[in-house]
Amino acid sequence: MSDRVFSMSGLEVMFSPRSIAVVGASKNPKKIGYELVSNILTGGYEGKLYPVNPEGADVMGLKSYTSVRQIPGEVDLAVIAVPAAYVPDVLMECGEKGIKAALIISSGFREVGNLDLEERLVQTARKYGMRILGPNIFGLYYAPSKMNATFGLSRVFPGRIAFVTQSGALGIAMMGWTNLYRIGVSAVVSMGNKADIEEADVLDFFSEDRNTGAVLMYIEGAKDGRRLLDSMRRSSLKKPVIVLKSGRTGAGASAASSHTGSLAGSDAVYDAAFRQCGALRASDLAQAFDWAKLMTLQPPPLNDNCLIITNGGGVGVMAADACEESGVPIRQLPEDLQLEFKRLMPVFGNSKNPVDLTGQAYEESYAKSVELALKDPRIGSVIVLYCQTAITDPVSIAKAIADGCEAHGCEKTVVTSFIGGTQCNEAMQKLDERGMPSYPIPERAVSALAAYYRWQRYRLKKGQPSPTTSSQAASQVSP
Amino acid sequence: MPKIKDVSRERGWLLEPEAKELCREYGLPVGEWAVVRGPEEAEIEGGRLGYPLAAKIVSPDVVHKSDVGGVALNVDAASVGDVFRRMKAAAEESGYRFEGVLLERMAPPGIETIIGAKRDPQFGPVLMFGLGGIFVEVFKDVSFRVAPIDRGDAEEMISELKAYPVLKGIRGRKPSDIEGIIDALLKVSRMVTELEEVKEIDLNPVIVYEKGSRIVDARMILQTR
Repeated sequence: MSDRVFSMSGLEVMFSPRSIAVVGASKNPKKIGYELVSNILTGGYEGKLYPVNPEGADVMGLKSYTSVRQIPGEVDLAVIAVPAAYVPDVLMECGEKGIKAALIISSGFREVGNLDLEERLVQTARKYGMRILGPNIFGLYYAPSKMNATFGLSRVFPGRIAFVTQSGALGIAMMGWTNLYRIGVSAVVSMGNKADIEEADVLDFFSEDRNTGAVLMYIEGAKDGRRLLDSMRRSSLKKPVIVLKSGRTGAGASAASSHTGSLAGSDAVYDAAFRQCGALRASDLAQAFDWAKLMTLQPPPLNDNCLIITNGGGVGVMAADACEESGVPIRQLPEDLQLEFKRLMPVFGNSKNPVDLTGQAYEESYAKSVELALKDPRIGSVIVLYCQTAITDPVSIAKAIADGCEAHGCEKTVVTSFIGGTQCNEAMQKLDERGMPSYPIPERAVSALAAYYRWQRYRLKKGQPSPTTSSQAASQVSP
Repeated sequence: MPKIKDVSRERGWLLEPEAKELCREYGLPVGEWAVVRGPEEAEIEGGRLGYPLAAKIVSPDVVHKSDVGGVALNVDAASVGDVFRRMKAAAEESGYRFEGVLLERMAPPGIETIIGAKRDPQFGPVLMFGLGGIFVEVFKDVSFRVAPIDRGDAEEMISELKAYPVLKGIRGRKPSDIEGIIDALLKVSRMVTELEEVKEIDLNPVIVYEKGSRIVDARMILQTR
């Protein structure tokens, strides 16, 4: 077969196809075959799109074909959404046509006990040197190709998180989250039954993908645990791999096996295995996205010294507590630096760490404090907290903080938390848009920062220099 | 590489002397023992090993020795012959095959730990380390790693335990031989990786001292085919 397919692992073609055929494309808006074509069009896909259905009826103004064989030009990717029994024949036609990759949306295979039918897909794919994703998936979204080949939501917020999910419903729901919580994704991959492509393949692809800054995986069970670990180990040296693994309890585990027909392994072993290969295990979805947001927007910490800047003593102490509990040491600032901070605050402020600028902190003292923290090489990461007050404007303080950071070309991690009402929400939206990750409570900001430290420590232990900073500076994070 | 005997393979698990022999071949810290087959031999070997002794029944029908009265601790010279006779009688009465009594000098007290291994369906051989003896079940203070492990993994397995400060030495107590534990973990990692027939290993307790450590009981379950 074509050696290009194997040399490129076939996944590059799947993620960046020049042309797509949707087999099972429908005119009926209630059908998945309609939704797929509609989402590919709405998403702004720039390659050629060929609907295929038995009637050859045009779909959304596009000329259709009765079979992939009838399509005049070359086709890179087939998206197959026909009843399970027809899939093997369609796949064979795709192979004969020279198609290199297929997304098999259709259900009715291993997950319902149809092992033989699924095995036929694998055999066909092998025969023609095709790679297949699925079956039993909602599709694939890849931002750089503007390709939304899913029957999920039509609008996805683009960014640098690659989201890989074994649960279809969860994946579609998360596509909605990306817009609601301004969390940008580079890709959404539905894994389904993993007849051919499994998590390890996808992870290998993303670890080399320049458009992806962090990988977030939801998994229920690994097909090949050892392979997954090896892949995680390699990937974690390059970018953070955040894992959500369900089936932590006995009840969860039995639900998982009935879900995708995959047997969930013992949780303690998974937990240790993830730790061993540098993957960061999150306890829930919100936490996983909190971490991924920070890791795709900000560089990793430069050294162990984290500085907290606040306008309220209470939240400062809460953040410091959370830091201590999660392995982010908060040390008192050196005298000379304290003196400099003292100039930016009233006499009753506190310059030790947390640096408390007091409730009278306006734009200027926030901006200057942030600049001071970014400038001093002894500080490796910064947590900026703001509690809403009657005399200050959250939105313009957010702007001042972002300006201060941009003026300095952020080389260390900065996280923010704005605590208050609607205006704080608006301020956080501005911060997120400018690449300054914000969180509604300090503990969430700290949790993300602590996870970033864990990743950085793993890399340093394995002797990897930081990708964005000099290895000398990065080595100041204690392993 | 050490071989496992056909007779043990058919049984599906190793008798304690077999398991300990395997440990010894891998350089793990086992004490000196003797399997005796009569009361007179018990007295002779007892004298040679030195009292007080631990005495344990050796029977292919008994996996859990203490459940059937097959364990006696702090046995002295005056009672070793009686202990032998009692264990043999108990086995005959219950219909267990009796292959003898394992005698070993009592290990001095120290910190009881457990080193374990099992084959996980997803990840293959996996190692466990934790607080051992009777505490395993209660505190479940254990850590896992997928084998084979390196030195760094072994260090983490130890430092991850809640009981780590106890091993490091607190309140004026001397630190335990952490180097020795690291060494043992690496050896068990090699053992479970090489011996594909082994399904589960329980070295429990492994008593850790200021210097050195000692495997007091060893249990190994083999894969059933």
